[in-house]
Amino acid sequence: MRKDLMDILACPMCKGELTLTAEEEEGDEVVRGQLHCAACDETYPIEDSIPNLLPPDLRDE
Amino acid sequence: MTTSKEAAESRKIKLAVVEQYSAVAQRAASCCGPSEFPESRAAKNYADGALSELPENSVAAAAGCGNPVALASLKKGETVLDLGSGGGADAFLAAKAVGPEGRVIGIDMTPDMVLLARESAAKLGQENVEFRLAEIEALPVESGSVDVIISNCVINLSTDKDAVFREAMRVLRPGGRVMVSDIVLVGDLPQEVADDPESWAACVSGALPKDEYLSKIEGAGFNGIEVEGGTPRPDAEGWRQAIATINVRATKPGAEGCCA
Repeated sequence: MRKDLMDILACPMCKGELTLTAEEEEGDEVVRGQLHCAACDETYPIEDSIPNLLPPDLRDE
Repeated sequence: MTTSKEAAESRKIKLAVVEQYSAVAQRAASCCGPSEFPESRAAKNYADGALSELPENSVAAAAGCGNPVALASLKKGETVLDLGSGGGADAFLAAKAVGPEGRVIGIDMTPDMVLLARESAAKLGQENVEFRLAEIEALPVESGSVDVIISNCVINLSTDKDAVFREAMRVLRPGGRVMVSDIVLVGDLPQEVADDPESWAACVSGALPKDEYLSKIEGAGFNGIEVEGGTPRPDAEGWRQAIATINVRATKPGAEGCCA
């Protein structure tokens, strides 16, 4: 996902602000990393440039 | 309050929907041109040539029942959210319409669809479109940040349509609008069809009666609701005469100096 699209992103559960931790980048693109919501202490993975913002019960299916 | 039995039933339906559309995505990713692919009957909703510039895998994965982008009057620079973006065909058309100053975000809960859409976006070199794995009932989007929501034959699949319209209302800016194509019921389904989880995933048994669908949109706070369609396909036979496509346009109130 592109870093410049962070500004309209929010936690799907509590709508809190998400903080990005990039582990692998290509230009503006975050290939691998995490999005963390401080408000509800949930962490969402970014894999293959796709942020996975599914609720925990659907994430690992 | 949702009971645990309802939650379990809802989860079962969600998994059936993900399974169904994972299979569509996998076939579309690996196969053939659109003409060989049955789901491409969705292509008849688009003007001749409108899909010809899109990667054929995304066209093959298209399973919509309308063409919301054509009806949404998108303007350059707008931010568009596609609920249930699938292989990305509508998102790509929207991205072209809003231009490089605009942006499009596609939301889908099926990982294989999001992967396919992302690969197609890379092939197209469209930098103003992004796809996120998420549920349309719990949007990972900031409130008041979206100009237009589009959706093509997806909300019927949701097990909590009130939540979908509530979330749509939340993420739209005041004066923002929705343009939704969807399947509704205009008659009664036989019990065995209504009870079949595969029929839910095939956009049939999750469909609501037309009036109920529209009252949910109104109940979420939308106004200026305009509806087209609602007539079964002319070639529909048997219980298929109980389902129809509608196109619904609605506006979130509150824009200053505006019309609705």
